[in-house]
Amino acid sequence: MKLRSILFNLFAWSIVLMVAFPLFWMLVTSVKPQFELFRRPPTFLPETWTFEHYARLLYDTNFLVYFRNSLVLSTTTTIVVVVIATLGCYSLVRFRYRGRESLAFLVLFTYLLPSVVLILPLYLMLVQLGLSNTIFSLVIAYTTFALPYALWLLRSFMAGIPEDLENAALVDGATRLGAFRDVILPQLLPGIISTALFTFILSWNEYLYALVLVNSDNARPLTTGVMNMLISSFNIEWSLLMAASVMMSVPLIIAFAFLQSYLTRGFGAGGVKG
Amino acid sequence: MADVSFQRVRKAFGSFTAVSDLNLEIDQGEFVSLLGPSGCGKTTTLRMLAGLEFPTSGDIRIGARVVNDVAPGDRDIAMVFQSYALYPHMTVEQNIAYPLKKRGVPKAERPAMVAKTAELLHLSELLKRKPKQLSGGQQQRVALGRALVRDPKVFLLDEPLSNLDAKLRTYMRAELVELHRRLGRTMVYVTHDQLEAMTMSDRIAVMEGGILQQFAPPTEVYNAPANRFVAGFIGTPGMNLIDGALAQEAGGWVFRGPGLAQAVPDLGPEATSGAACLGIRPEDLVIGDGPIETQVRLIEQTGHENIVVVEIAGGPRLTGRVPGHRLWRLGEPVRCGINAANVHVFAAGPTGVRLNAPIQGAVYSMQQSEAVQ
Amino acid sequence: MDRPTQTRLERSYALLGLVLIAPTVLVFCAVIVYPLVSAIYLSLFDIFTPTLEGSWVGLANYRELLAKGEFWVSLRTNLIWTVGTLTLQIVFGVGMALVLHQNILFRSLARSLILFPYFISTVVAVLVWKWLFNDLYGIMNHLMITVGILDFPIDYLGTMPNAMISVILVGAWKYFPFVVIAVLARLQTIPDQLYEAARIDGAGPIARFWDVTLPQLREVLVVIIMLRAIWDFKEFDLIFLLTGGGPVISTQTLPLLVYKEAFALNQMGMASAYAVIMMLIMLVFMILYIRKTREGDQ
Repeated sequence: MKLRSILFNLFAWSIVLMVAFPLFWMLVTSVKPQFELFRRPPTFLPETWTFEHYARLLYDTNFLVYFRNSLVLSTTTTIVVVVIATLGCYSLVRFRYRGRESLAFLVLFTYLLPSVVLILPLYLMLVQLGLSNTIFSLVIAYTTFALPYALWLLRSFMAGIPEDLENAALVDGATRLGAFRDVILPQLLPGIISTALFTFILSWNEYLYALVLVNSDNARPLTTGVMNMLISSFNIEWSLLMAASVMMSVPLIIAFAFLQSYLTRGFGAGGVKG
Repeated sequence: MADVSFQRVRKAFGSFTAVSDLNLEIDQGEFVSLLGPSGCGKTTTLRMLAGLEFPTSGDIRIGARVVNDVAPGDRDIAMVFQSYALYPHMTVEQNIAYPLKKRGVPKAERPAMVAKTAELLHLSELLKRKPKQLSGGQQQRVALGRALVRDPKVFLLDEPLSNLDAKLRTYMRAELVELHRRLGRTMVYVTHDQLEAMTMSDRIAVMEGGILQQFAPPTEVYNAPANRFVAGFIGTPGMNLIDGALAQEAGGWVFRGPGLAQAVPDLGPEATSGAACLGIRPEDLVIGDGPIETQVRLIEQTGHENIVVVEIAGGPRLTGRVPGHRLWRLGEPVRCGINAANVHVFAAGPTGVRLNAPIQGAVYSMQQSEAVQ
Repeated sequence: MDRPTQTRLERSYALLGLVLIAPTVLVFCAVIVYPLVSAIYLSLFDIFTPTLEGSWVGLANYRELLAKGEFWVSLRTNLIWTVGTLTLQIVFGVGMALVLHQNILFRSLARSLILFPYFISTVVAVLVWKWLFNDLYGIMNHLMITVGILDFPIDYLGTMPNAMISVILVGAWKYFPFVVIAVLARLQTIPDQLYEAARIDGAGPIARFWDVTLPQLREVLVVIIMLRAIWDFKEFDLIFLLTGGGPVISTQTLPLLVYKEAFALNQMGMASAYAVIMMLIMLVFMILYIRKTREGDQ
């Protein structure tokens, strides 16, 4: 029995490590000096550790500009989308009016809609509005996938909050909006946070809209920016690119660490019956 | 003057009618139960009174005021929810103080009011806890506290005891009755548990299929059920209901069913010959003596009494109630009789109306409402 | 006597509901509904991208694209990619979820490591894999030769069928964690009694998987498969960045074709027609999925 468990652990962990290997390799490459990359056979752990690529990335390239753009872009998108979606899903789940069902259907539909369908008219629209090549144009474009996504996610969190909580607040003398603020919002907070984190990740990682809508380094986010570093150089500096990849993933690792604790917290359940 | 009244209230969800043409007048200080199986419209009725559902038509009054357009918070009501609906992120103290806060009670006055309510409900030690840290019974008391703290005109209780274990439920039942007596406030209590309704209420409104079947004091609901539904719903074990036919013979009305013929005195003017239903409470079935030939099919011993099920050859099974020392063997033939004074006769159909003449006074009320338990 | 109208309170609630949904509706109309309608409208024009000037051509774009081989080739490529990567995602995803459901050492660390490919940017994933696939210094060729699978280095992305296989594999690596999360969540809700009952009935581990686990997973698997099929079908970034559709057009799926028409060949109208047709194809999956979730809601 003991042996079987050891073998199973070995088996499981070797798969896990295989899946994680590319990420390990990314880290290793980013701290190897350039000459060590072309060693054959390759060294698994760097013989010399160096952070020169990170330094070069920060001082000699546009990385920081892209990083700032991405940060501004993703944060703005997240805030706009989460605010609109929080109000929207409250309305969709807890109010009755005509057209509510078709709206819920539309949300789900757009959640599945491919970006390439929307990108052409959006491109035309933003060019005509004179907004192309701005971070703002990307915020608008990102809303097309982030809002349906956030609405869809928040909807299930909202549905998990017992209706009687709101009813109790109404009977206790609160208005609808008062009940929303006093009772629903605190209950929805874990949902709002994880929706915000997911929306942030989604925006941070977006590539196609950034590729089409932004053509200047002032507004370029990390995804297209880093990719440009690959395309525009004659001889590809893999260490530099791997360092960029690592740096680019840092905010995601932070978001991911938060998500782990929020994801495990109950969807809904809430306070009713302990 | 009625404290709460429903006038021709109807509630439809799409094509489904949850409550139809409800007329109900509840007096000041009365404890009224809305009783019925799930889906009968009792909870919808309560929620309309609370302002959480909107009547499709008709008027609801609290005091002299039509409240159809009044927000729940302005109706001067308090409600205890089946799920308790305690605000999970607030402490017990904040939960109880919330209605005060929303009603604009000055901050300085709140702690004293909360403390008083907490003491009344033995919650003083728990004020700093969150709902999650409380037992079911404690949560239930917090929910009550939140309702009590602001002394509303009407209390609404939606199956507040259904999540408690049996022992605690019995205890809280007594507590609620005591509370009602002390406060003298109107209470509307929704339950599917007839025992709760019978023991606590001044009057019971029995509902089924969105329709009010009977609105009367517990003894009357038990002793003179308004129709076949109420007869079958109230009482444990349930009333024996036998389908057969009424006929007017020389000596008066006679009911004939499979294997039995029973003279039924005192029928009202609505009685007609033809299909009808005879109702016999288990305690009115005399086992061991009488004209009906039966066989014993089942005996349930509960200690102080036995529930005996007998079968009329080729006919229905009847349930009787006998003292604990009377024993039969399964399959044993036994003769049975019917306490003719207490038989009920209903028109045919699932909600056939009572055909007995109205009873004079409450002759046997005490003994039989005990029997319900 | 019946008042068909709502009470004032009810009306004010409905009004508040409309006010709360208004921002959503406005944004939806501006950035989703309007562009969607425009896309269909644009597909009826012949538009030169750099100048954005065009002329009405009616359904000519559609006639042309259906007659052209490239559309059908891309559709076929798209289906191969979708089916290939989806199959791998499901098989690996379910397998990995079963493994991670067991009690292994440092289970939460293992879970995080497995989920990570899903959360990183496609750009990062592609850069890393391009480096792994590097023909001269890539670790992939080195490992393959060391283990003895290959005799000499190969070109993973520049030849066929290697390019398609590589793209499918990287896609599976990137997206199978989604399947793991969803299946793992479902596995945790299967009541232990079911397994105990099966054990009492004499079922071994394999029988328990087929008779207990799999039927319990059925529902969630159907939903995952539909959802992933939709997402994989419309995948752009991964393929575009790995191969750019090449060699020539052998890994060019429909989304890449749309992009190429619009921004490389500057045929905005034609590109819209491709996009619309692609959406129509996806509509089948989408309606199936929406139906399924509706069922789940009730």
